Amino acid sequence: MEDWKVSRRSPAVQTLAKPADRYKRFRLYMHKYWTLYALLALPITYFIIFKYIPMTYIQIAFKRYSIVQSPWKMPLANNHGWQYFIQAFKTPDFHRALRNTFMLNFLDLVMGFPAPIILALLLNELPFKGFKRVTQTVAYMPHFLSWIIISGLARQLFAPTSGLVNIVIQRIGGQSIPFLNAPAHWVATYVLLGVWQSMGWNTIIYLAAITAINPELYEAADIDGAGRLQKIWYVTLPSIKGTIVVLLILALGNILGGGFDRPYTLGNPLVRNVSEVIPTFVYSWGIKGLQFSLTTAVGLFQSVVGVVFLLGADFLAKRAGERGIV
Amino acid sequence: MKRLLVLMTVLALLLPLSLFAQAAKEATTVAELGPDGRFTTTRKITVEVFDRGVDDGRTPAEKNVWTEWMKAEVLKKYNIDVTFIPVPRWTETDAINNLLAAGDAPDVCYTYSYPTVQQYAAMGGVTDLAPYVEQYKHLLPNLFDLLEDINVYNNLDPKTGTLWALEARQFYPHRNSVFVREDWLNKLGLARPTNHAEFEAMLKAFKDNARLLLGADASKMIPMSISVDIGWMGDPLTTSFVPEGLSDELLWSLGYDDRRIMWPGYKEGIRLLNKWYNLGYIWKDFPLYPFGDQTYHDNLVRSGFVGAFMHNWDYPYRAGGIDIQTTLAQTGGSFIAVDPFPNDAGLYRKYLPSTTGDRKIFFPNTNKEPLASLLYLEWLSTLENRKYLQIGPLGVTHKVLDSGAIQIIPAAVPEWIQNSADNIDYTMVINGKDLGSAQLNGLSLGLGYSGVDPKYLEESYRIEQHDGRIVKNYTVGTLEAQVGLDNVLRDKRNDFLVRAVVAPTAQFNAVYDAGWSDYLATGGRAIILERLARYEEIYGVKIQLPAGYVL
Amino acid sequence: MRIKSRSQRIGDWIIVLLCAFVIFICLLPMVNILARSLSSPQALMRNEVLLWPKGLNFDAYQYVLKDKTYTWSMTWTAILTAIGMTLSLVMTTICAYPLIYPQLKGRRFINTFIIFTMYFNAGTIPMYLLLKDLSMLNKPIVLIVPYCLSVFNMIIMKSFFYSIPDSLRESAQIDGAGPVMVLVRIYLPLSTPVIATLALFYAVGRWNGFQDALMFMNVRKYYPIQLLLYNLINAISSIEVAIQEGFSTPGLNETIKTASVMFATVPILLVYPFLQRYFITGATLGAIKE
Repeated sequence: MEDWKVSRRSPAVQTLAKPADRYKRFRLYMHKYWTLYALLALPITYFIIFKYIPMTYIQIAFKRYSIVQSPWKMPLANNHGWQYFIQAFKTPDFHRALRNTFMLNFLDLVMGFPAPIILALLLNELPFKGFKRVTQTVAYMPHFLSWIIISGLARQLFAPTSGLVNIVIQRIGGQSIPFLNAPAHWVATYVLLGVWQSMGWNTIIYLAAITAINPELYEAADIDGAGRLQKIWYVTLPSIKGTIVVLLILALGNILGGGFDRPYTLGNPLVRNVSEVIPTFVYSWGIKGLQFSLTTAVGLFQSVVGVVFLLGADFLAKRAGERGIV
Repeated sequence: MKRLLVLMTVLALLLPLSLFAQAAKEATTVAELGPDGRFTTTRKITVEVFDRGVDDGRTPAEKNVWTEWMKAEVLKKYNIDVTFIPVPRWTETDAINNLLAAGDAPDVCYTYSYPTVQQYAAMGGVTDLAPYVEQYKHLLPNLFDLLEDINVYNNLDPKTGTLWALEARQFYPHRNSVFVREDWLNKLGLARPTNHAEFEAMLKAFKDNARLLLGADASKMIPMSISVDIGWMGDPLTTSFVPEGLSDELLWSLGYDDRRIMWPGYKEGIRLLNKWYNLGYIWKDFPLYPFGDQTYHDNLVRSGFVGAFMHNWDYPYRAGGIDIQTTLAQTGGSFIAVDPFPNDAGLYRKYLPSTTGDRKIFFPNTNKEPLASLLYLEWLSTLENRKYLQIGPLGVTHKVLDSGAIQIIPAAVPEWIQNSADNIDYTMVINGKDLGSAQLNGLSLGLGYSGVDPKYLEESYRIEQHDGRIVKNYTVGTLEAQVGLDNVLRDKRNDFLVRAVVAPTAQFNAVYDAGWSDYLATGGRAIILERLARYEEIYGVKIQLPAGYVL
Repeated sequence: MRIKSRSQRIGDWIIVLLCAFVIFICLLPMVNILARSLSSPQALMRNEVLLWPKGLNFDAYQYVLKDKTYTWSMTWTAILTAIGMTLSLVMTTICAYPLIYPQLKGRRFINTFIIFTMYFNAGTIPMYLLLKDLSMLNKPIVLIVPYCLSVFNMIIMKSFFYSIPDSLRESAQIDGAGPVMVLVRIYLPLSTPVIATLALFYAVGRWNGFQDALMFMNVRKYYPIQLLLYNLINAISSIEVAIQEGFSTPGLNETIKTASVMFATVPILLVYPFLQRYFITGATLGAIKE
C-alpha cells in the first residue's frame, strides 16, 4: 500500500559467479570494461604524481630533519625514530590540545551536522520560490568570509564591556555575558559561530540531493493523505540518506583535524585552556619553531586516527546496509 | 597493462629528478681581485629583499630606482652583478624554508630571528662565516667600522669557533617610553607624575573626570591602555621593580626572555597592574584583542579615549598609518613622554638593548661567492652609500634645513617612494638613520616625523636614555634548551601575564605562580640552568641566583 | 490548486519566519562590511559602524576600481576559475564513474588508494620540490593542475551516481552500449544537480584559495585576487613588527581593506544564483522513466 515510502534498506551489492575458464573470462571482462580503466588512468597518474610522490616526505616524522637533505638520506631520530612522537605525548600542552580537539570537533558534529540538513528541509518546504532563492543565496554568504573578519565582527558584538550585545544587555539591566572570555561560554560561541558559518554552504549538497527525488513519490504520498512531517520522514529523508551517510563518514574521518583559523582568531589568553587545539599546537610548537619532524609526526598521528575513524564509520555503515565510501 | 608500464616509467623518471634537486652544491672560493679592487670576472650574487606588496604606491621590491642604482654602483665598484630576490614579508620563514630546501636560497639572507638561523645551521644549511671574515678582514674596513667587533662576533661560538650570522647594527638602541595626554594633565591641573603613587593618582583623576575630559564619550574613558603583550606595553613599569645593581652576568643568565619576566622583582610589577586593572584604570577588554594586530588598540588611542600607554619611544609620533599625535592634534590633544617609575634606589633605570638585536645576516650553504657577498655588505656599510639609500636624493626625498639638519619629505616623484622607512629592507646592515656625525644625527632626530613638533621626540628620547644601562650579551654558542621553543614560550608568557593581570586580586598569587611554573616547566628552567652551566664552563665564574628566586 | 489546511498554513509561516531569521543572521556580516567600506575612516576609527555607513563616501571604491592591478587580477582569476573548474569537473567525472561498477576488478584497492591521499600529506616543502622538478613554479599551470581533483568532491559525485538506478545501466548494456556511452547518454544528463554543485565547489575553491599561489607563484601578474588581498589585509599593525623594524607599515586604511574584501567576494557570490537553474526538481529522473 505505502509503496511510496522509500525503502530504508539499500540494494545489496551484486556477487559474481566463478566460472571455470578464468583466463577467457578475464579477456571478455577486459574487452567489455577496458574503457573504464582508460578513464581512470589520468586520475590515478595525477594521484601518483601530486599525492604519492610528495607523500614520501612523511618519513621525516621518524627522522632528524635537515632542510638540505633528501628525506631518504636523513638520519633516523632517537628511540628508533619515535623521538618526536614521544616528545609530543610527553608534552602536557599536547594532551590539552588533543582533548580540546576531540571535544570541539565532537560538539561541531553534534550541532553542526544536523543544521544544514534541517535548513535544507526547511528550504525545500518554503512555499514561495523567490523567497527560497533569496534565502539560499544569503545563507551561504558567511562561508566566504575569512575567520579574521568574522572574529573581528564577533568581538565588536560580544566583547565584555564594549561589545554591542553586552551594552544592550547592560542597558536593560542585565549582567554582561562573557561570550568570548569565559571557557564554557567561549565553547558555545565557538561552536555556534561555526554552525552559522558553514550551514548555508553545506545545504547545497543536500538541496542537490533533494532535487533528484522523484516527484511521483510525493504525489503518491499526497494521495495517501500524508502530512508535511510524514512526507519528510518517509520520503525526503530516506531518499537523501545515502548522501547523509557519506558526509557523516567523511566528517568522522576528520575528527582530529579541524581548521586552524577559527580557534586561532577567536582564542585569547583567558580561554586558552579550551581553545588550544592540535592545529594551533602544531603552529606554535612545530611550524613556528621550525620543528618539521614534530609537525609531521603530529600530522601523521592525526591522519592515522582519522583513517581509523573513517574505516570504522564505513564499516558500521556497511553493516547497516549502506554503501559506505571504501 | 600498457598504462601500468607508462605509470612506472613516469615514476622512474621523476624519482632521480627529485634527488638531483637535493644535491648540495660545492662552494667555489677562488677569489680573483684585480689591482683596482674589482673582480677580474663578473661575479653574480643574489640578495634577499622583503616584499611588502605593491599596493599603496609601493614599487616592486626587486626592481625599482633604488635597486637599479645599487646594481649599477656595485657593478662599477667591484664587478659584482647583484640580483634581488623578493621574499614575501608575512610568510618570510616559509618562503625561505622552501628556497633552502630546493637549493634556491639567495646568497645573502637576513632574518630577525637568530634561533631560525641556528636551526638552519644545525641542519647544515648555513655557511660558516668565521674563516671568511678572518681571511678578508682587510678588505672590509667599512663593515667592521659600522658593525664593530661586538656585532660582527656577537654570534661567534666560543667552543666551535663557528660564526653563523652577522648582527646588523641597531643604531639607536631604545626601549619604551610612557606616554600621557598632555592636554588632560593641563585640563586637570596635574603635574607630570614622577613616581608610582602619582601615576596611580593621575589614572584615578582621569577616571573620575571622564565627563569633563570626554564629554559625551565619558563611558568610553580608558585611563590606561595595554595589550595582550603586557611584557612590552608594561615594560617601564615592570622593570622598575627590578632591584638596582644586579650584575651583568645575572641579568644575562635570566635574560632569555626579551620582556624580562625572568628578572627578579618582575612579579611585583604585574601585581601593580593587577591592582590597577581591578580598580578599573586599565582597558577592560584588552585580553580579547590578539597579539598580532594593534589596530583596535590604536583606534582607541587615536579616537582620544586613552589617557596613558607605554610603547616604543616614538610610537605615537610615527606616520604612515599610526598617526596618533597628528590625529589627536586635530582636536587639541597630544601625548607627551614622562618618566614616572623610579626603582628601589630612586633611579629611573632604563634597561636598554645593545646595538645587536636587529637583523641577522647569514649566507646559506649554497652561496658560492662568499667574498663577493661580503664585499656587497662592505659596500652597503660605506657611509655615502647607505646614507643615500636612507635619505635619497636632495629635493626628492629629503631637504636640508638651515641648521644643516636633514628632514625627510614625502617622495616628490612616485618612483622614489621608499617601500620601508629609511629603506631598511635594502640597508640590511643598519637600522636607524645615520647621517655621519653625532651632532647631525641629534639635530635630525625629531625631523623624520612629519606633522609632529620635534620637541616631543627629543623629550621622549631624552627620557628613554636617562639612567640608561646597556644590557650586555654573552655568547655561549648554541643552547640546546632553546631550540624550537621561542614561539611557544612567548605565547605562554603573554598568556599567563594576561591571566594574572585580569584575575581578582585575591587570586593574583595563585594565578601568577601557576603560570610561572608552567613557563618554567615548558622550558624556561632548562634554559636558565643551561645558561648558568655554559657561562661557568666558558668564563669559569659561577653566577649566583638571588636568594628566594623561584626556579 | 491544492487548498492548504490551516495547520499547513501555520507551518508555512513558521518556516518563513525561520528562514527570515536565517537571512538576517547571515546577511549581517556582509552588511557590516559593506557599511564599513562606505564609511569615513574617522567613523571606523571610533568603531561606530555596525549596519549603516557613517560619513558616506565612495573613496575606497574609487581607489580600488582605479587600480589596474585589481581589475586585471579579477579578470585573471575569473579565467583561472573557468579553466580550473572545467578541468576539475572532467577529472572528477572520469574518476568517479568507473568506481560505481561493482564488477570492476581492483575497485576496493583503487578506492583505498584514492581515499588514502585525503589523509596523508606532508606539507608544502615536498610539494614545492616536486613542482620545481616539474618546472611548474611561477607558471600559470601551477594554479590549475596540482589541486585539480578533490577526493571529497569525487566521493560526492560517486554517491550521486549511485542514486541512479542500476537497471538503467544494465538495460543500456544489454542494448550493447559501452560504459562510456552509458556515461554520456545516461549518467551525465541525470546528474545536472551534482555537476552544478561541484562546479560551484571548484569555482569557489579556486577563487577563494590563495595558499598555493602564496607558496608557488611569484610572478605578480599571475596573482589570484585573494593573494593580492592577502598582503593588504596582512600588513597589520603588529607589535612584533613595530618593535623589530622600528617603523610601522603604511597604508592600513580600513575602508580600503573592506572595499577590497567586497570587491573580491561579490563576484563569486553571484555564481550560485546563476547555477540555481540547474537544481531542477525531479524532472530529469521522471522524464527518463519509461
